[in-house]
Amino acid sequence: MKKDESNIKYVFLTIVTFIIFFLTWQLLAEFDIVGKYMPSPVDVFRAFVFKLSNIGPDGSLLSTNILTSLKVSLLGFSVAVVIGIPLGLFMGWYRLFDRIVKTLFELIRPIPAVAWIPLMIVWVGVGLTAKALIIFFAAFVPCVINSYTGIRQTNPALINVAKTYGASNFYTFLHVGVPSAIPMIFAGMRVALSTSWGTLVAAEMLAASSGLGYMISMARSFGRADVVVLGMVVIGALGYIFTLLFSKIESVINKGGTV
Amino acid sequence: MEPGNHVRVKVDNVSKSFVGINGTAEQVIKNVSFDVYDNEFLVLLGPGRCGKSVLLNMIAGLMGTDEGQILLDGVPVTKPNPEMGMVFQRTGTLPWLTVMDNVRFGPRMRGVPKEEQIKKARHYIDLVNLHGFEKHYPYQLSGGMKQRVGIARAYANDPKILIMDEPFGALDAQTRYNMENEILTIAEGEKRTILFVTNNIEEALLLGDRIVLFTACPAQVKQIYTVSLPKPRDTMQEEFLRLRKAISDNTDLAL
Amino acid sequence: MSSGVKIENQVENGKDTSARKQGYKFVYTIGPYISLIVLFIVWIIASGKNVKTFPTPWIVIQKIASLLVNPLSGATLIGHMLVSMRRVFVALFFAIVIGVPFGILVGWNRAFRATLGALFECIRPIPVLAWIPLIIMWFGIGENAKIIMIFIGSVMPIVVNSYTGIKLVASLYLDVGKMFNASTQGQLLKNIVLPAALPTIFAGIRNATSVAWMVVLASEMLAAKSGLGFLINRGMEVFDISLVMAGMIAIAVAGAFLSWIISFIERKVCPWNRGIMSE
Repeated sequence: MKKDESNIKYVFLTIVTFIIFFLTWQLLAEFDIVGKYMPSPVDVFRAFVFKLSNIGPDGSLLSTNILTSLKVSLLGFSVAVVIGIPLGLFMGWYRLFDRIVKTLFELIRPIPAVAWIPLMIVWVGVGLTAKALIIFFAAFVPCVINSYTGIRQTNPALINVAKTYGASNFYTFLHVGVPSAIPMIFAGMRVALSTSWGTLVAAEMLAASSGLGYMISMARSFGRADVVVLGMVVIGALGYIFTLLFSKIESVINKGGTV
Repeated sequence: MEPGNHVRVKVDNVSKSFVGINGTAEQVIKNVSFDVYDNEFLVLLGPGRCGKSVLLNMIAGLMGTDEGQILLDGVPVTKPNPEMGMVFQRTGTLPWLTVMDNVRFGPRMRGVPKEEQIKKARHYIDLVNLHGFEKHYPYQLSGGMKQRVGIARAYANDPKILIMDEPFGALDAQTRYNMENEILTIAEGEKRTILFVTNNIEEALLLGDRIVLFTACPAQVKQIYTVSLPKPRDTMQEEFLRLRKAISDNTDLAL
Repeated sequence: MSSGVKIENQVENGKDTSARKQGYKFVYTIGPYISLIVLFIVWIIASGKNVKTFPTPWIVIQKIASLLVNPLSGATLIGHMLVSMRRVFVALFFAIVIGVPFGILVGWNRAFRATLGALFECIRPIPVLAWIPLIIMWFGIGENAKIIMIFIGSVMPIVVNSYTGIKLVASLYLDVGKMFNASTQGQLLKNIVLPAALPTIFAGIRNATSVAWMVVLASEMLAAKSGLGFLINRGMEVFDISLVMAGMIAIAVAGAFLSWIISFIERKVCPWNRGIMSE
C-alpha cells in the first residue's frame, strides 16, 4: 500500500517536471531570452503540422524525409549485419582466420564512420550507395565485436560434449557456437542499430535531396530553427521506437535472456 | 563447556512472510523462539535454504520481523547493528579492497585511528593464517581464503555477537573440513558468542555447543540439542554418531 | 585384419595431421603479414586504374612524411593530431566532471530520478550529430561550439553508465557496508556504491571517448582551420586524395592511442578488476 502511494508521488513529480520544463522553454522562446534561434514548443508543433503538407524549406514533405532516411539507414544497417555478424562469428571460432583478418579489422576499427565521408564522396559519389556505405561503417564494428565476443564465450563443456559425440568442427560451430552467441549478437545489433541511426545525419549532410539529416541542415541554412528542432525530435522519437521494437523482437527470439 | 546462562540474544516468537511471484504471502519463519547464551557456539541447523538466512538477517537487523521481536542484551534490534559481526554466505569480501583494507573496513568506518585499525587487522589476518596476503585483492584468492578474510573482518570489528551464514557452503569438501577445524581453533582462542547457520549435520555437531534444529518451510524450531562433547570432537566417537543419527532421524527431508 | 587397417589408417592420419599442423603453425605465424601484403597488393591494383582518386601506398607514405615536416595551415600532422585530441580531452573532462555526479545522483536518489533523470531520458534518444545544426545556430562553429558538441556526445554514455553502475551494485555489498559501520548514506555511497560502480562508469568513459573522437572529426569537417577532420576535408576540397588517406591513417593512429590511454588509466584506477584487465 505504502509503496503504491510513493510511486504515485514520483509519477506526479515527473509530470510536474515536464510541465515546468515546457513552460520554461515556452517562456524563454516567447521573450527571445536566449536569442532568435530558440523556437518554442508551440513553434515546433506548428512546424510539424506545416511539414506534413508543405515541402519548404528543404523541398520534401516530412513523410518523404522520414522514408528516405529509413531506407538509407536500414540499407546500411542490413549490409553491416549480413557481413559483420558472420565475419565476427568466423573470427571468434577459427583461430587461423582470426589471426589473418584481425589485423585488417584493427586497422579500420579506430576510424569513425564520419571520417570515411570524404573518401566515399570521391570514390562512389554522393548517391544512396555512399550514404549507405557510411552507415555501414558505423554499424559494422559493433556487429563484428559482439558476435566475436559472444562465440568466444561459448561454454567449453558444450563444445566438448558435441565433439565427444563425433560432431565435426563446422557442425559444432553451427549448432553449439552460434546459438550460444545469440544474446551477444543481438546486443551488438542493438548497438549497431542506434549507431547507424545516429550516423544518418552526417551521411545526409553530404549532398542529398531529401532525408531528415538533409532537412535539418537545409533548415539551418534558411535560419528555420523550428524545423531544425522538429527534425531533432523526429529523429529522437524514431530512434527510440526502433530500440523499443528491437528489444521486443529480441525478447521474443532470445528467450535465454538479454545481455 | 557449560554455556554461561546469561542471555545475549533473545529471539521471541518471530514470524516472517514474503509475497511470492503469484502474489500470495508465503510464510518462511513461524513462531520461532530461542535464546543465545553468552560465549556459546550456537548452530542453527535446518534442511534446504528456507528461513535460516532470513532469520540471521533479522537478527543482524538487515530485515525487520513481521511478528515477534529480537533483543540484543535486552534492547530490540531495529536496524543494521555493527555490534554483530557477520560472515556472509558467499564472497562478501569487497573486490575493490585488498585483504588488509577488507579486514580493517569495520574499524575504519567507525573512525578508529589508522594505526590501531592496522594493528587489529594484522592480528586477525595472522589468526586466520593469511599472513603475507595483506596486499592481495580478493580475485587473487581462493574461495577458502576469501572466507577467511570474511572471518577476520568480522572479528576485527569487535562484535558482541558473530553471525556466520553458511560460511563454508560454497567450498569444496576438503577446504570445508580444514576451515571447520580452523574456526574451532579461532573460537577457542578468542571467546565470542557465535551464531552459525548450516544445513550440514556433521558440521553442526563438530562446532556447536548447542544445536537448534529447524523444520522445513516454514522454519519452526523442532528441537534444541545440547552437545556436551569436548572439542575438538571425533566424528567416529559413539556419542557423536548417536547424536548424528538422532538429529538425522528428526530432520525433514529437504526438497 | 580390420584392426590392422585401422592402425595403418591411424598412423597415416597421424602423420598427416602433424604435417598439417606444421603448415598451420607456419600460416598462423605469418597470418597478420599475409593480410597486410594482400591489402597492399589490392591497394596497388586499385590505384592502377586511377592514381588521382586512388593514390598508391607510396604516394600516401610520402604525403605522411612531408606532412610530418612541412606544416599545412600552420601545423604539422602531429600538430593537427594534438589539436583534435586536445578538443576531445577538454570536452571529456567536462563530460566526466558533470556526467558522473549526475548519473550517480539519478541512480541513488529517487526524487532526482523522477525529475532530472526523466528529462535526460527524454533527450537521450536524439543522436549527438543531430544536435550539430542547432549548436551552430546558437554558438557558431568556433572552438567553444566544438567543445559543446563533443561534450553532448560524450556526456550521454557517461551518465547512462554511471546510473546503471549505481543501480547494479549488489545488495550483498550494501549489506556488508551496513554491517560494518557504514551507517550514513554518504559513507555507503563513498565506500561501497562508488567503488562497486567504478568499472561500469569506466566502460561509459571508454564509450564516451569513441563518440567524442567521432564528433570532433565531424565538427572539424564542418568548419575548422586545424585538426584531423579539417585535414581530410581539405584533402577532399582540393582533390588531394593522398591527403585524405594520410589524414585517415593519422585518425586511426590517434583513435587507437586514445583508447589505449583510457585503458591505461582504467588499470591504474581499478587494479582489482580482472575482467577489464584481460580485455
